[in-house]
Amino acid sequence: MSLVLAVEEFSPEHEFVLDPWVPFELGPIDLSINKAVVYLWLGGLVTILFGVWFMRFGLSLRPSRRQTTGESLYDALQGQIAEGNLPSRAIGRWFPYVASLFLFIWILNLIGFIPLPISSEKFHAFGLDLPTWGIYAATANLSVTLALAFITFGATHVEGVRYNGPVGYFKSWIPAGAPKPLLGLIVPLEVISQFMRLVSLSVRLYANMLAGHMLFLVMIGLIFIFSSYYLIVPSILFGTVVYIFEVAIVVTIQAFVFALLSAIYIGGAIEPEH
Amino acid sequence: MDIVLAATSDEGLASLGKAIAFGVGVGLGAVGAGIGIGNIFGSMIQAVARQPELRGELTGIQWLGFALTEAVVFYALLGGLLAYVLV
Repeated sequence: MSLVLAVEEFSPEHEFVLDPWVPFELGPIDLSINKAVVYLWLGGLVTILFGVWFMRFGLSLRPSRRQTTGESLYDALQGQIAEGNLPSRAIGRWFPYVASLFLFIWILNLIGFIPLPISSEKFHAFGLDLPTWGIYAATANLSVTLALAFITFGATHVEGVRYNGPVGYFKSWIPAGAPKPLLGLIVPLEVISQFMRLVSLSVRLYANMLAGHMLFLVMIGLIFIFSSYYLIVPSILFGTVVYIFEVAIVVTIQAFVFALLSAIYIGGAIEPEH
Repeated sequence: MDIVLAATSDEGLASLGKAIAFGVGVGLGAVGAGIGIGNIFGSMIQAVARQPELRGELTGIQWLGFALTEAVVFYALLGGLLAYVLV
């Protein structure tokens, strides 16, 4: 019945089209409020509430379960991400940044796998136009991840210059003991590699989340593409496997790696010697 | 059947080639990342078997290596998509 109808309509990339809901343009810059922006707001709000709920009130020497959770999370972040990567004199300044980076990306990724009624598509029920429920992650959008990567990129060089002076910092890009004739080759490579960090940092997160969503959508969409009832069981099975893999592993690892690499880059700029 | 039909026109041939290129590109990228991820987890198992007390320190490095390697597939995927859309 409706299975046959859906064949022509199935296009998973449709989920990632961003319609401007509140158009707002500043010259050539498009600042419209769309699905990704709403997801970002939601992610920011949940991150703030998360932090306030776990770490900001009712703390005591005999910790409750809530406080224990918050403290073990803090401990894990400090031990795994900050210590050993950020130098001890910069840890007080930059641990908050990498920790909130982790929490923000983690929550954005997780929200991306919860079906929410935030969508431009509508369906009719009870005489109302209700938005369809769908999954979408703000981090499955290159602009979001690139903006986050730019913060790390900027922080890296600002901190490098601040701690080592401009001359000392840019000198540290040249590997010690490099033979003079090769410098013409090494210096451009180093400069390019600094910019490649921007690309790899943003594309890794973006492509991971996009591929996860696409995989899930295509797995479910196989039913409609082949319009066969026999496919319902295997494709829902594989879809569930993909979903669990994404939620249990990829979501956390990508947030962890983004924060860890930020810590490594910033730490490396502050103390270039090692 | 569709494939045979598609190959009879120039446009169909082009999109056929694009689809094959996309598939081959992502597939080869996945081969490399598969080997790399296998290496990482294999080494991790060996390392923990030899020195179980280092597990805590190694786990962070393991996941970092996993994510860095896994990202290679997505570079292939993005490159394939770009070729598919732009060419």
